[in-house]
Amino acid sequence: MTAVLAAPPLHRDRRRWAWGLGGLVVLGWSLAGAGLFSGPVLNPSGLRQFGRFAAAALSPAHDAEFLRVLAEATLVTVAYAALGAALAVVLGSLGAVAVSRTTWGRRRAGWTAVRGVLAVPRGLHEAVWGLLLVNVLGLDPWVGVLAIGIPYGAVTAKVFADLLDEVPRGGYEALLASGAGRGTAALYGLLPQAAGGLLSYSFYRLECAVRSAVVLGLIGAGGLGYQLALSFASLRWEQVWAAVYALAALCVLADVGGRAVRRRVAEPRSADGSRPARDRVLVVAGLGSLALVAWSWWFLALSPATLTSARTVDQLSYVLDAAWPPATEGDLLTAIGSAAVDTVQMSVIAIAVATAGAVLLSGVAARRPGTGPARWAAGLAVRLILLLLRAVPPPVWALVLLFVLLPGVLPGALALGVYALGVLGRLVAEASEEVDGRPRAALRASGAPPLGAWLYGVLPALGGPVLALALYRWEVAIRDTVLVGLLGAGGIGVLLSGRIAAFDWAAVTTVLAAIVLLTLAVDLVSERARAALR
Amino acid sequence: MAAGERVAVVGASGAGKSTLLGVVNGSVPPTAGGVRVHGGDPAALRGRELRRLRARTGTIHQHLELVGPLRVVHNVNAGRLGSWSAARALRSLVQPHGLDDVRSALEQVGLADRMFERTDRLSGGERQRVALARVLVQRPDLVLADEPASALDPALADEAMRLLGELAADRGGALLASLHDPALALRHCDRVVGLAAGRVVLDAPAASLTLPELEAFYGVVR
Amino acid sequence: MSLARAARSGGPADALPASAVHAFSRRTLLAASGLALATTLAACGRTSPVSGPSDPSGPLRIGAIPDQDPEVLQRLYGIVADALSGALDLDVSYAPVTDYAAAVSLFRTGDLDLVWFGGLTGVQARLQTAGAVPIAQRDIDADFHSVFVVNAATGLTPSDDLALLAGRRFTYGSETSTSGRLMPAFFLREQGVDPDGFPGGPGFSGSHDATLALVASGTYEAGVLNEQVWTSRTAEGAVDPAVVRYARTPAYSDYHWLLGPSAVDRLGEDLPDRLTDWFTGLSADDPGDAEVLELFGAGSFIPTEAANYDQIEEIGRDLGLIN
Repeated sequence: MTAVLAAPPLHRDRRRWAWGLGGLVVLGWSLAGAGLFSGPVLNPSGLRQFGRFAAAALSPAHDAEFLRVLAEATLVTVAYAALGAALAVVLGSLGAVAVSRTTWGRRRAGWTAVRGVLAVPRGLHEAVWGLLLVNVLGLDPWVGVLAIGIPYGAVTAKVFADLLDEVPRGGYEALLASGAGRGTAALYGLLPQAAGGLLSYSFYRLECAVRSAVVLGLIGAGGLGYQLALSFASLRWEQVWAAVYALAALCVLADVGGRAVRRRVAEPRSADGSRPARDRVLVVAGLGSLALVAWSWWFLALSPATLTSARTVDQLSYVLDAAWPPATEGDLLTAIGSAAVDTVQMSVIAIAVATAGAVLLSGVAARRPGTGPARWAAGLAVRLILLLLRAVPPPVWALVLLFVLLPGVLPGALALGVYALGVLGRLVAEASEEVDGRPRAALRASGAPPLGAWLYGVLPALGGPVLALALYRWEVAIRDTVLVGLLGAGGIGVLLSGRIAAFDWAAVTTVLAAIVLLTLAVDLVSERARAALR
Repeated sequence: MAAGERVAVVGASGAGKSTLLGVVNGSVPPTAGGVRVHGGDPAALRGRELRRLRARTGTIHQHLELVGPLRVVHNVNAGRLGSWSAARALRSLVQPHGLDDVRSALEQVGLADRMFERTDRLSGGERQRVALARVLVQRPDLVLADEPASALDPALADEAMRLLGELAADRGGALLASLHDPALALRHCDRVVGLAAGRVVLDAPAASLTLPELEAFYGVVR
Repeated sequence: MSLARAARSGGPADALPASAVHAFSRRTLLAASGLALATTLAACGRTSPVSGPSDPSGPLRIGAIPDQDPEVLQRLYGIVADALSGALDLDVSYAPVTDYAAAVSLFRTGDLDLVWFGGLTGVQARLQTAGAVPIAQRDIDADFHSVFVVNAATGLTPSDDLALLAGRRFTYGSETSTSGRLMPAFFLREQGVDPDGFPGGPGFSGSHDATLALVASGTYEAGVLNEQVWTSRTAEGAVDPAVVRYARTPAYSDYHWLLGPSAVDRLGEDLPDRLTDWFTGLSADDPGDAEVLELFGAGSFIPTEAANYDQIEEIGRDLGLIN
């Protein structure tokens, strides 16, 4: 008993050290696995091919015919993104009720079971859903909508449930005490407090859906990614860049719109309290989103009847019959095991590269009002580069990097790393904008150089949020490894694409199960690590 | 407690005043013994029955427990959720129902011009009055009030207590209020109950007590 | 992360932002749902930009495995579609596909009726789709070859000895390409080379053009591709001088047209015969026909039958590419 009471107050710190050291060991192991310490990894003679890709960035294709095709493809991508995100929000809202602690109360077993069920749709990348759906629905636009909506819906359900569970419960309990039912009490006592977070997250999902819609195109579901894939297959880099620029422009639009809404939600205008008033920006955003969804539905000519048509049922039973029972040969399981190791190593390297890069760039990338035009221009340039890094889909990065690196885990890992840097760089820059600027200003006032002031005044405060973001991104990266693997750059995705190409559905089932388990394991580790670092 | 009776619960922090109110409205299960409210035992009832009982009890919580991001009108209307259907509750969020009742309740507490303001933009005293207005539209038979006047200036505090007393009296109901201010207790209540460490140590008609006596009691238990 | 962001930008919990529900009045909600309903109804008459309708009178949808530059394919099949449509009095449309497996899947689901398959994909598609019939192949398909290429820096000179490739970094094309994977793997094994045993495992570049680029960069020291693509890229002068032809495989059967059962149901029992007659009747003497033949790099089309691909099926099963 006394031993327990005398537990050293350093306990938490020890936990952090253990996680930190563990992380470094895993990183070292991953780099070793990528062959970094056991021979050359660079292939300098491929610089010429890489140069062709890079040079084409300055001369994107712009002939009228291609631009027309690109414009139509852009509309398809927008429609996929809008409907996919809308479906995700609907599924997410229903799912949130099913998985929130508020619903289950003290019945932990039921709550755990439902969360476990959610892990299946969440564990599979949109592209994997797309590939599976193509095999059932064929060339139907539902493929794109469902492939985004299903996994996003599962993620959204989890986030919505967490948002609801985090709301202070006083108002809700008070309403229960005055006789309200649980549903109405939640409607008045929980929902309004979570609404800002829910709305912000919905718009954030829309931004992500744009990039996912492009990835779906890569596997043949139409839109910008489809044009990109067609140009990419014949290595027409000028066309690839034109598509990338179109995608970047879409991302900027979604980003600017989403930011405006989120900012307004976070800091609502004060209004005259004596009469009802609505926030015009939010009304426009809300109605605009509804109109966009309606237009997308019309543009894609979605027909709910396809989902239940005889053909769909036939194809579904064909695939399910072939897919069950799962394959369990020893060879396959061994291959899955070693591919899983590759996948983990790829994702770890990717995140290490992205985090290091994001932190280094955040000082320049963050918006700082009141600094000179040179600083402003440098910030803008870095933010544009980050935008391009995340606008070029990972499979394209993988092939391009394969020109200058020898085959193995590294090209895929770096492709993911570069892509994740584009996303993480922006998030870390935003996090650093929110860091209190006064310590840094104080250091500058006492004569510290800019770098020193940043290192001492900003970096310590940035550490926690950056690690949390990096760990979260790691969960995303492990799903993305499947994507680069699908297009041949190592890891478990290679196995999946091989089995799909051979139409070995029983093995596909096994590989999918392995992927779900792997992503679940990574989610758990990341959650633990974040709890330890909090 | 009798119909129309106004009872003040006094005692030091931690004496069990809030717990007593919680047991009465059924949000805290009693560890021993029981209460009967409107002829029923809130700890023994479930579901619809419990809700019906609770809808007849209006509570002003010590920390108010208003919903900050909701507009004042909805926070006031929330007092009626016990008698509204879910569909009506949902519709009212889009187009507020019962505006006249809400307006008159807010007029009584002097907040009519803040009806469409977000509640978290109000001052502490204004929020306390919103909580009061919520109970006014609920029209309960029993009003529980946990420090209902703590954030109000003396004049407003008197007004608030007067309103609560009237509300209880109008409907032949009762008021059970925990109060820190002995003067307020004597002025607005018929009976004073003193608690210390969860036990009743004083139970006397207000008329039989003088202000110095009661202040002395506060001094003793403190 | 976004959760953290949302909470952060929302500040302390009691200052969290206004209810989203407030953003809409009842009237706007009604109007918006009316609009949504109207467009849903309107969508019934519209053709989706990403798929063809599968109505009974729909056109004959042709496709091809993406073994070449998609732009060339688009032009090539545009011409074929026009010629077919004129000759058989049918609506014919072409739908490009991004990968080999997708072409097979879409043939099975009935999204594509008449597809130009490689040997292996044709077998896969036929085995998955009851009632699929081979229509025709080119004269050169009965005698098709692949070429092994190496990077000049390896110092290897043209030879028939594939065993010398064993220790090299090696890439195939697409995983289910007949000329870029299946038959080369078969011939490698014939010469005692493990087709999966290259150092670090073989690469799958995804297309013949990507194979050329990756061997040119030196990332892979050797690779293999369709002889027809090699010949035409060489003629165009598009091959990097660092890529050297190393060996040519023996002959095998490759590409063919395969017709799916739903088209026969829709467009008539005699459709297979009419198609075979049209393809085999194309003549180099007719200027219109000559254009089609030239685009396919063929002297003529000849009839074909399932039995011609038995060897491919056997090798495919052997390599685990057919189940």
